[in-house]
Amino acid sequence: MRALVIDDSRAMRRIVSGILEGLGYETLQAGHGREGLDVLEGLAADPLPDLVCVDWNMPVMDGLQFVSAVRSNPGWRSMTIMMVTSESEHTQIVRALAAGAHEYVIKPFTADAIRGKLALLGLLPQEAML
Amino acid sequence: MTTLDSGVRRRTSDTRPVITDLIDEATIESIAQEAWISLVGEDEVLVPLPGGPVADPVSSWVDVVGPWTGSVVLTTGRRTAEELTRALLQEHSPEVLEDEDVADAFGEIANVVGGNVKAALPGSSGLSLPDVGEAPALRNPDDLCRIELQWRGEPLSISVQGALPPLPAVP
Repeated sequence: MRALVIDDSRAMRRIVSGILEGLGYETLQAGHGREGLDVLEGLAADPLPDLVCVDWNMPVMDGLQFVSAVRSNPGWRSMTIMMVTSESEHTQIVRALAAGAHEYVIKPFTADAIRGKLALLGLLPQEAML
Repeated sequence: MTTLDSGVRRRTSDTRPVITDLIDEATIESIAQEAWISLVGEDEVLVPLPGGPVADPVSSWVDVVGPWTGSVVLTTGRRTAEELTRALLQEHSPEVLEDEDVADAFGEIANVVGGNVKAALPGSSGLSLPDVGEAPALRNPDDLCRIELQWRGEPLSISVQGALPPLPAVP
């Protein structure tokens, strides 16, 4: 399975990617929403990521704008989007879900929290379930 | 006769919350402890004791804009910030850390702590991207909630400080 991790913090990209790779994901990374869209557009014939983990507050294009852009492209509807962010106000969570995110993980999180969300979404790779 | 209010003079009904009306030290410490366990490591604890003066200080902070406006500022020594960066990056840590690596990791800790402080405040607020460098000036000593901690024996403080100067005294 494949995941795209979008966060303006390289440290956070490494942490999230490390957790996903430990579960058996192949990961791609981007530093903001626009870069994330560029990665998706550049995939051409390659398969789309099964999962996108995206931060909210980022320069250039924030996570909410990214989610809206992805949801407006019918060819990208198969991807599951999980917001991974320190924006923990209830109204913000509602906004993200209304824009098209499927799940919401609040920083700080543990590896078990990510694993639990993926299990709920049916996105836990086979090898992680053994 | 009509009296026009220039808005200059403060009325007794004018109030603005200060941070200690909205959040306490225990809540900030609890937010920081949770961030540390998640980001820095499960065995990493912050000891709630003043660690003395900070040598070669560096700060990371995020601004909160809303019913209360101010900054959430983490301050520690540069070497401790580097150690924090290595703890965050673990096996991905480069042999030689660049300033950019430290700014990125220390800024992300401020982002996580600040985001959760913001969520603990009443009403809806905006959160800035993190910044790293010399801490923003303290504008109003009464609008400050500060905790002093130690991580691995080194001092680290977290200040939640208002961005606005004190209101003029009511005559």
